[in-house]
Amino acid sequence: MSHNVKILPGATVCEDCTLEGDITIGGGTVIHPRVTIIAEGGPIIIAEYCIIEEYSTIIHKKSDKQENPPKPLFIGAHNVFEVGCKLESPCGHIGESNVFECRSYVGVDVKIGSGCVIGAACRLTAPQTLADNTVIWGSDHHVREALEKQPSQLLQLDFLSKVMPNYHRLRKPNVHKRQPSTRQSQESSPKP
Amino acid sequence: MAYLTQPDYVKYICSCGQLKPITSLYFCRHCLKIRCGFCICHEVDSHYCANCLENMPSSEARLKKNRCSSCFDCPSCFHTLSTRATMAQPRQVLQDPAAAGDAKVESKQPKKMYYLSCFNCRWTSRDVGIPDQPVASGGWPERTNPHAARVNQLLDYYKAIALQEKQEKIERERKKFNIRGKYITLTDKTGLTGAMARNIAGLPSSESSSSAIASFVPSQASAEVEELPDDIFTKEVNLNQITSMPQRLASPEWQPVSVARLHPLAKLLSVKRSQRCRACDHNLTKPEYNPGSIKFKIELLAYYHVPEIKIISHEPVKPGATSALLLKLSNPTGHEMTLRLLRPEDVPPHDDRDEPKSIEKSLERSLNLDKDTTSFKPIERVPVYSATSHVTPPDVTLTLAQRDDAAEYDDDAQHDTNDIIMWRKSNKLALRLEVVTDETAEGGSPAVAKLALQYSYRNTVPPAAAASQPRDHTLYTTVILDLGTVSSN
Repeated sequence: MSHNVKILPGATVCEDCTLEGDITIGGGTVIHPRVTIIAEGGPIIIAEYCIIEEYSTIIHKKSDKQENPPKPLFIGAHNVFEVGCKLESPCGHIGESNVFECRSYVGVDVKIGSGCVIGAACRLTAPQTLADNTVIWGSDHHVREALEKQPSQLLQLDFLSKVMPNYHRLRKPNVHKRQPSTRQSQESSPKP
Repeated sequence: MAYLTQPDYVKYICSCGQLKPITSLYFCRHCLKIRCGFCICHEVDSHYCANCLENMPSSEARLKKNRCSSCFDCPSCFHTLSTRATMAQPRQVLQDPAAAGDAKVESKQPKKMYYLSCFNCRWTSRDVGIPDQPVASGGWPERTNPHAARVNQLLDYYKAIALQEKQEKIERERKKFNIRGKYITLTDKTGLTGAMARNIAGLPSSESSSSAIASFVPSQASAEVEELPDDIFTKEVNLNQITSMPQRLASPEWQPVSVARLHPLAKLLSVKRSQRCRACDHNLTKPEYNPGSIKFKIELLAYYHVPEIKIISHEPVKPGATSALLLKLSNPTGHEMTLRLLRPEDVPPHDDRDEPKSIEKSLERSLNLDKDTTSFKPIERVPVYSATSHVTPPDVTLTLAQRDDAAEYDDDAQHDTNDIIMWRKSNKLALRLEVVTDETAEGGSPAVAKLALQYSYRNTVPPAAAASQPRDHTLYTTVILDLGTVSSN
């Protein structure tokens, strides 16, 4: 377990979570306990200032037509994964400032832009591409287009990164120097 | 009301013939009958806003079109909007970041600005370009109805017509009176004219009402309709920009077509209702006036007065077979209760002796004339509910102890069990009964059993005038038990 997890300085990652495979966690990101992140189909890169709440699951699934080298799943900055949400994506690019509300589910072959909201308990299973600022809500999966991106959760992040160390064992950042060159290349490669 | 036995396996037959679970029934202590929502009078007690819990007299509510002035609903998903605060920099600084020094000083004091946001669909008042407000509540721009003038005109017109008709009626009655009597009226004596008298009484003068009627122009229907735009069939439709039917109907004055025209909806007021028995005009429920309170001043629910029946378990129902049925009976009242199980056919028919209405009541009737309750008489239909299964009632009289909340801490359970009573515990007892199903019952059809109950009821209404009336009554109720489906052999 966790043989290849890179945690950048400034990230708050609780020890009590499952991280498997090649995972990079950006600075300022907060990962709550009981989170599962599994990179079996390729590396997962989580950018800065994301919040990943309890019982959320992010899986980079193995697919049949595996590329070589495997494509990374890139999750942009300021994303919020609320309690119990699930994201399974082999084709991976997720933009910035998205909100995955409680118990939402995003299946394979769903491309997500920026500023999207997947409402509580909404399930996206069909292959689709969400345009920027799409809001999906309700049991009938109503779709709406928001005018602007969701406000960032910087205050909450500040609070969490202060409070979390008081109550949980944390994983220590193991990458002490930023590697802008490698990060840059990873960031740009998966863009469609 | 969410309840342990949902879905409703046991239904009581209301005195009007409706089938209802015990939790949605009332019990009139004065008529000693079960009542349901269909056979009672619902009255509005007070108006209040469910969000801010502000109370409002009915006249004010009417004036505000039954809407709260400070709370809003989301125009997109109809969830309640919440006020959110942001620290906003003054505008000109944002536009001109390289401004002079004093502008920078200004930017150091961010102002708190408020906007409305929906937590369900993330709609915000910024989406439709409503500027942020410097105060937390109120001050939201109100849109005027484009047809306000016409609507007011119509209102005035109908008010004038109503007034005119009323006056004509009064006049007619006065004429009748005048023919009969030869008295000099006060107006004749003092030279007070009708118009003056009306003025003194604060009524609008008849001239203004007649002018409202005279100047009213009825609207004309025209066959000319605006042409559709040329690109109506060729333009690509963006469903995200078009409002749905419920969204349009939520604001009938504007009926916005595009999402950008959605405005916050003032929240509709809720009402507190009190229920009244139609037969005796006594209150069945009366809520407390305070909107924050969920308690009742009067609460005559069947759940507190009628013995409750629950199904513990039963054997599968087969045509022509006998199956066991375990029932639990409980006594919710504070008095000991004797019970007998009967076949529904054995229930004595309604003795509609309809005791002579008390003077008090007829007086009350005559006082609220406009209610005019005499014109309609409740039709009590005899419910016909066929049941394929029949419970064989044991020929025993059961006694149920009064309800005692402390009894669950006692452990001296009475053990007078026999082949009918399985167990007994404070005010509850479990019965083992037999259900006989008709030969003709088809497999797969719903298995329904009917059972009648005779129970003693002690009326605790303060026996003010009617001290001589018996306090103990023998009442009957019929229940329908849902035993799943008839299993085919």
